[in-house]
Amino acid sequence: MRKFGLLLAAGLAAIGVSAQAQNIGIGLDIPLSAPGDAAGGQMIRRGAEIGIDMVNAAGGVLGKKLELFVTDSQSAPAMGVANYRRLVGENKVVAVTGFFHSSVALGINEVAKEMGVPTLAVQASASDITAKHYDIAFRTHAVDPVRVAAWMEFIKKKGFKKISIIAETTDYGIGLTDETIAQNKSGKAGLDIQKITFDNKATDFTPQLLQIKSFKPDLVLNIGVGTPVDLIMDQATTIGLLPTTPMLISYDAPTRPQYWQLHPKNGEGIYFIAYYSPKSPLSDLGQAFAKAYKEKYKEDPVYGALNGFGAIEILAQGLKAANSTDPKALIKALESGTFKSWPDAPVTFPRADGVYWHNWVPPVLIVHYTKPNQDWKEADIAVTYSKK
Amino acid sequence: MFSTELVAQTAISGVMIGVLYALMALGITFIYSIMRMINWAMGEFYMIGSYLQFMLVAWVLGPDLWWLAILISTAGVFLLGLVVQWGLIKPIFKKPPEMRDDYATVVTLALLLFLRSIATGLAGPNQFTPGSTLPIMMIGPMPMAGARVAAFVFALAALGIFWAVLRYTWYGLALRAASQSRVGVQTAGIDVLSVDRVAFGIGVALAGLAGALLAPVFLVFPTNGMITTVKGFEIVVIGGLGSIPGALIAGILLGLIESFGAAFIDSAYQNIYGFLLVLAILVLRPTGLFGERGREA
Amino acid sequence: MAVALEAIALNKRFNNLQASNNVSLAVEQGEIRGVIGPNGAGKTTLVNLVTGVYKADSGDVKLAGESIVRCDMHEIARRGLVRSFQVTRLFGSLTVAENLRTAFLARRPTDGGDGGAQIDSMLDLTKLRPLANTQAKKLSGGQRALLQMGCGFMVPGSCYVLDEPFSGINPVIKDSIIEMILDVNRRHNATFLIVSHEMTIIRRLCPKVTVMMEGKVAAHGSLDEVARLPEVIAGYLGKALE
Repeated sequence: MRKFGLLLAAGLAAIGVSAQAQNIGIGLDIPLSAPGDAAGGQMIRRGAEIGIDMVNAAGGVLGKKLELFVTDSQSAPAMGVANYRRLVGENKVVAVTGFFHSSVALGINEVAKEMGVPTLAVQASASDITAKHYDIAFRTHAVDPVRVAAWMEFIKKKGFKKISIIAETTDYGIGLTDETIAQNKSGKAGLDIQKITFDNKATDFTPQLLQIKSFKPDLVLNIGVGTPVDLIMDQATTIGLLPTTPMLISYDAPTRPQYWQLHPKNGEGIYFIAYYSPKSPLSDLGQAFAKAYKEKYKEDPVYGALNGFGAIEILAQGLKAANSTDPKALIKALESGTFKSWPDAPVTFPRADGVYWHNWVPPVLIVHYTKPNQDWKEADIAVTYSKK
Repeated sequence: MFSTELVAQTAISGVMIGVLYALMALGITFIYSIMRMINWAMGEFYMIGSYLQFMLVAWVLGPDLWWLAILISTAGVFLLGLVVQWGLIKPIFKKPPEMRDDYATVVTLALLLFLRSIATGLAGPNQFTPGSTLPIMMIGPMPMAGARVAAFVFALAALGIFWAVLRYTWYGLALRAASQSRVGVQTAGIDVLSVDRVAFGIGVALAGLAGALLAPVFLVFPTNGMITTVKGFEIVVIGGLGSIPGALIAGILLGLIESFGAAFIDSAYQNIYGFLLVLAILVLRPTGLFGERGREA
Repeated sequence: MAVALEAIALNKRFNNLQASNNVSLAVEQGEIRGVIGPNGAGKTTLVNLVTGVYKADSGDVKLAGESIVRCDMHEIARRGLVRSFQVTRLFGSLTVAENLRTAFLARRPTDGGDGGAQIDSMLDLTKLRPLANTQAKKLSGGQRALLQMGCGFMVPGSCYVLDEPFSGINPVIKDSIIEMILDVNRRHNATFLIVSHEMTIIRRLCPKVTVMMEGKVAAHGSLDEVARLPEVIAGYLGKALE
């Protein structure tokens, strides 16, 4: 046993040494196992890996190759923080990107502001990730207020009055719920809102859904992440809540390939938030990526993959602009430069007010599946909301 | 909010999930009662049962033969259990008895990680579902997914068969005897290690059955067995380790408490109500509702 | 007469204690042999070595001429060597009848049926019939000893090794057990090796005894012969046997 331990330690040390000798490391912290949304993490990882390959194929950065170090947060902030420390301490990465679960990103930023290596959140939406105005905190994702504004516009357009929110008890779920209640008040929308929360490790949501059914809402907001989203849909169908009551899913889970496999009968009619549709124009980089992705995985990239790719591109361009791997120089370059990512629009991270600090927000779409087995690229776009 | 209909629906939903919880816990308690070891990888046998069910329904038998798939999945997990006992568990029982607990914990925890990695490696982190062609049924005032009703009925049948086998067959007698005294059965001329093998197979097959039954309800993914591990051990504490009636009653109790707590107190703490019950039991009756205070050596 | 059970130069060491030191003995078919000796003399170790509970460090055990020293406990039991324990090993939550049934079914002859008749007659023989459906853990110590003996006799074995079958038992039940032993011995020519402190019973049952001291065999012979040997008297700290 002791012998084995020594071998293992020696092996790990060897890997560490060989890796840091000639490459520039970038950390990618994502959920790869439950209770995290492993499928979501996987998409980001695919995008980031292709991004690394593309940057290296084009000659790398500052005369060196980029190397990706992937860690699994399992959606646990403590795990994420430990991962960040290891990435910075052992792997000597120059930036850590990824981040799917808001709680993890928030936890990591508290440590990152001391350790100084910047973070770039690609799919975590809690306001505080950027609203705390930490020097190290960057993001390329729709934030809670934008997402909520999008569905408030949708609710207004449809004339809905009674809204049930079923949300997980995490920063993500609570953040979106509170923001919805706040915008209802500040916008004088006059909605009657029922708020139901659940533990994201639960599997049986029947008690919650029964309460919602007896409230008789016009719309159910499904603010779960990962498996609970699907379980809520199925169990809502069983008790007769779906398909009679419309349901809006708070992120783009339904664009994933497994959606119609899981919901052949109750997938139709669902609304969901998305950040990308093939109808939105791609940059030349985005087109090259989409091609590479399709070749490798035989399917079209979703937003998570695009944003995972974008993060690598942005960091590579930032390193070039900084002409250094020093974290402070990188932060300065990101704040002042204009970058290219997958959308056909310039990407910037100004020191702006509130949640928009260091935050580039892609447009938010509300997409509607109008028939069974519909390709998400052909689904209706019910609302397109851009931050004014 | 406190309508009679909602109360009735909550009660029905609690009992139905409770029986399935009981099925998950039964394997843990049964293996413990015979072998005096805890199988920490129980949830992974649930997971394997659910994957087998998915593969059989999606690729081999089709959705109409789901019931046959359930029987085959359960049998598959039983056979896997025999192999695991033979390869991993039996060697532990050749070591001195005082070391067994530690070895069993290490071996089954390693097995847990191994099986999860295998599942993630082979099938990826995504969820799957075998789907179900069963229609939604009304159970009193409560609409229920056909698959869930079927799971409930199968679970009850399995519990009944399990009880009858223990009560009325020769092998059941040998199993009950082994749970009382391992030395005793050996003295009587019974090969206790082969009893172990069958007991381990049956125990994990119960979890595999739960996995196969619940595959269309709670979906199929590498860590879906966590529910078995968590609920199973809660039930084992509530009902008493080694007690079979304890598992059934504690399962239903847990289902009801979670259901009513979520519906009438605060749904955010659904998973906490069970833990509160566990804590209360540990304080008031540490051996569980039906636990025995020990057995003859 | 043929040798039924034979121990050949058995050695067993526990840490620093030589619990069994070159122990040899041979019991003939149909013999009732007593094993006596002070506490800690290695009597129970001998029983455990012979019945497969412990594996001997060296030496051999033969049952009807075949070596059983490498066999597992259950295999030894199936070959017809039946033992009882000083502390009874019954199945506490099972009823008296279920205990008897388990013993029967575990070693039943191939065409043995379900044992109903044998259980019936054993309930009569042990006078435990009124308790047939009582859980074994609710029996008195004597009743347990009786039941354990009954379990051992459910399927006639060729050879019995009994460890303190009479300790802590009231005289009436002692007589029942003695009768059962003599009955099985007569009817099936069964061999017995009985470890006991009860010298009156040993004198009554066993024409020949083996004396053990400090892990070794100190003497063989009739109880009266060995009681006169100086080393035996010394081993019992100068006290006369009785």
